Amino acid sequence: MAAFRRGCARWQQVRFLGARAPGRTFAGTHHYDLVVIGGGSGGLACSREAAQLGQKVAVLDHVQPSARGTAWGLGGTCVNVGCIPKKLMHQAALLGVAMDDAGKFGWSIPGPVSHDWSTLAQAVQNYVKSLNWGHRVQLQDRKVKYFNTRGSLLDRHTVRGLDAKGTEMTLTARNIVIATGGRPRYPTHMFIHAWTEVMFGIFNKVTFALVKSHGQNLSRMEDCGASVYVGLECAGLLAGIGLDASVMVRSVALRGFDQQMAQLVTGHMEARGTRFHWGCVPTSVEKLPSGLLQVKWTEVRSDLERVEREDTFSSVLWAIGRVPETTGLNLPQVGVQLHPDTGKIVVATDERTTVSNVYAIGDVAEGRPELTPTAVKAGKLLARRLAGQSNQLMDYHSVPTTVFTPLEYGCVGLSEESAESRYGKDNIEVYHAFYKPLEFTIAERDASHCYVKVVCDRAGVQRVLGLHFTGPSAGEVIQGFAVSVRCGLTYAQLRDTVGIHPTCAEELTKIHITKRSGLDATVTGC
Amino acid sequence: MHKLAAASHPMASDAVTRFDFLVIGGGSGGLAGARRAAELGATCAVIENNRLGGTCGGNVFHVFWKVMWNTSVHAEYLHDHADYGFEGAQAHFSWQLIKNKRDAYVSHLNQIYRNNLDKARIQTIQGNARFTDDPEPTVEVSGKKYTAPHILIATGGHPSTVSDEDVPGASLGITSDGFFELESCPRHSVLVGAGYIAVEMAGILSSLGSKTSLIIRHDGVLRNFDALISSNCTKELENSGIDLWRNTQVKSVQKTEQGLNITLGTKDVKDKDAKEKTDRIQGVDCLLWAIGREPNTAGLNLSQMGVKLDPKGCIVVDEFQNTTRQGIYALGDVCGKALLTPVAIAAGRKLAHRLFEGKAESKLDYTNIPTVVFTHPPIGTIGLTEDEAIRSWGKTSVKAYTTSFTPMYYTITSRKTKCVMKLVCVGKEEKVVGLHMQGPGCDEMLQGFAVAIKMGATKADFDNTIAIHPTSSEELVTMR
Repeated sequence: MAAFRRGCARWQQVRFLGARAPGRTFAGTHHYDLVVIGGGSGGLACSREAAQLGQKVAVLDHVQPSARGTAWGLGGTCVNVGCIPKKLMHQAALLGVAMDDAGKFGWSIPGPVSHDWSTLAQAVQNYVKSLNWGHRVQLQDRKVKYFNTRGSLLDRHTVRGLDAKGTEMTLTARNIVIATGGRPRYPTHMFIHAWTEVMFGIFNKVTFALVKSHGQNLSRMEDCGASVYVGLECAGLLAGIGLDASVMVRSVALRGFDQQMAQLVTGHMEARGTRFHWGCVPTSVEKLPSGLLQVKWTEVRSDLERVEREDTFSSVLWAIGRVPETTGLNLPQVGVQLHPDTGKIVVATDERTTVSNVYAIGDVAEGRPELTPTAVKAGKLLARRLAGQSNQLMDYHSVPTTVFTPLEYGCVGLSEESAESRYGKDNIEVYHAFYKPLEFTIAERDASHCYVKVVCDRAGVQRVLGLHFTGPSAGEVIQGFAVSVRCGLTYAQLRDTVGIHPTCAEELTKIHITKRSGLDATVTGC
Repeated sequence: MHKLAAASHPMASDAVTRFDFLVIGGGSGGLAGARRAAELGATCAVIENNRLGGTCGGNVFHVFWKVMWNTSVHAEYLHDHADYGFEGAQAHFSWQLIKNKRDAYVSHLNQIYRNNLDKARIQTIQGNARFTDDPEPTVEVSGKKYTAPHILIATGGHPSTVSDEDVPGASLGITSDGFFELESCPRHSVLVGAGYIAVEMAGILSSLGSKTSLIIRHDGVLRNFDALISSNCTKELENSGIDLWRNTQVKSVQKTEQGLNITLGTKDVKDKDAKEKTDRIQGVDCLLWAIGREPNTAGLNLSQMGVKLDPKGCIVVDEFQNTTRQGIYALGDVCGKALLTPVAIAAGRKLAHRLFEGKAESKLDYTNIPTVVFTHPPIGTIGLTEDEAIRSWGKTSVKAYTTSFTPMYYTITSRKTKCVMKLVCVGKEEKVVGLHMQGPGCDEMLQGFAVAIKMGATKADFDNTIAIHPTSSEELVTMR
């Protein structure tokens, strides 16, 4: 009887789609072929692909509210608090800068132009909500079962779901994919008396009131993980819409990226008025009666020289790295190993964890780039392998990426430092050029940070090891070059391609001055 | 006379100055060829009858073009500002201001060209060149004679015009050259032509506030481009508020006090029984002919030289830029093929390496040349159209992948534009032989893909490349 009742409960909680009969919960038959925990970039791509290949799939997605109580809908970090709102806000900032330029192009704008944050915020939120909805519809169309519940593993084939009301359910699956991503790291090593926003919060409607249209805003960056660009991007977009922004950095900006390029990016921001506090570590944040935040920090000039500083800001944003969302998943108990330093899930080249039918993709997996497209692709390839349709593994080499700072930076392949340490300085040839985008000329804009660099193997055909570009539309510029790097691009092939004129992208086909020669690398004329 | 290195200076004998390399035309192709030849040790001279830099940089086009296009891009941004939260951004446009800045920038470029030539010790000869009747190819400029074992004709082209006999009052209109002389934005512009120049100019004028009509002979613009581009561009023009007249020709033009009156005849060429309808556009202050370009070959006296011309008057060359007369070469717009600056520059350099560095096989590959048309939004194209691919390989061997989407930029604006993309693939391995797209950012997107396509990339290479997110370009590596 008890067994029958348990069986009934399972019937009630799990709805069945398609012709397949419900199975019992031991190896051989399961409710689902695949259960994905996490409805972000990786999780959704994986589940949709699997469903398309005829697998029976369920997705569990649930956003744990932040300390401030903010949460969001289906789609993960990228859609809700990452790439998408970031890019739209970056776009708003670019429009602000374009308005400065417009005057030089003959446009006269009578009267002062101001930016209303709430208009932008509302517009962005509406779009994000439409994406949340779109994802729900897509899952439905593909017959992927979606549960807005918090998932955890009971055993290697059983997933427990807990919804906001506390209702429990269990699903069994032949394979399980964990794609729970990460969350911003909160500062724990210092004394905070006031609520400050962690970077993701800036995109959420609740915090919009925080960012005033006057007053200083401080963005504090720590140099860990691939999220290092987030602080710069946010400071950049705030500055672009007319807000005063400062950036506090412990050591270097864009750690892991080519440092010469990183300096061009921050150099551009500094030239346009963003204040940088280098070598600084905050010690406390307190809320003053006025509502402003007083931040105290230590400027570390050397091992012996440390200067204490303080200033007031209307908001403080932390962008000090991200932590994997693994708590509550019950992973160690099930045998899924976590990395001792990062806490991320240890995976093999086929995304498999230490439990043979449990996989992990995206930000939660150790050693993977924290990027949407790699999670998406890894998810799709994994789905194909699980459905027995393919053996192709995800290739994480030569992943192109773009940092959407005010002066955008796009790159693919190795940084100059990585190439040097891997091949030796004498065995690489670095071609470079400082160029001036045509749009900067009339606008009389400082183009001294617009730069292209191609790092090649010095021997033989001079294979391109890395390609770097700062300038407008860097993301659009780099994508095609990433395809050619994938095809084994050589310096000669780059130079042999006819340039498109006049564009910024063509500068990559014209580079011919090497760093080794010491010659002036400034492009002149046509 | 410029100071030249002792080892290589021109010999002046019998009043004919001899160089290693004589270039007629100081535009993109001519200058590039001369500079590269000089670097390789040749004594060079460039004959130019106008401003250095030619069509591209010296006088009109390219720089002017892009500057005007950028100006109109700002117009578009200004419309979007309110949607992005900016309050108070109502703008009005000053044509004079941008013209002055543009002119200043181009003068600056002229000076750079001059400096480059001086630094390279290339002699510049001002005036009109003409081949003489001498047995050895000799060029005369303002009474002085010059010769070289290698003479390059890179005289470019000029806009075609319609005679007043064919269309009464045609000369009341201007060409693209005249566009850059305009002192103010025309209130009402009428453009004639369906090629990329007409389409670019119509877009710029329209976004800068001119009421714009475009007269085209058939039912779409850019008919030599891929069908996706042709139909999408035609649609975008209409969506942007340009008054498009299909299947129409200008019959006559009259000047009145209120401006030009233009009489049009419309007849659907596909319908044999259709009668021609007559219409009139009145009060036009600018009529712009953009009906094609012609080579600058008249006055050179080429018939004497045994240099063959094609029916349009373009100089016929082989793959190495040789004309039909030994020792005389031609490249750039005067050859009528791939009328683009970077093509002329590349061809000029390849020729210099062949003639002066002994690289007998040095030539430009004219396949897979990427082109951008600065419409709103811009067009990027390379390689074969779908129809061309089908003609070459047959329908079963050709697969085209297309996509159409609204770029994220427009998700929060009231004004919307689509992005369309097509990959034309051939064979079992799906080699990418053509890429065609129109949308914001396509101008900067194309270059990298051009490199990949020239390398022989396949659809699988595209698909195996990780996307950059969020961009529009990522759609090209995620097409299904």
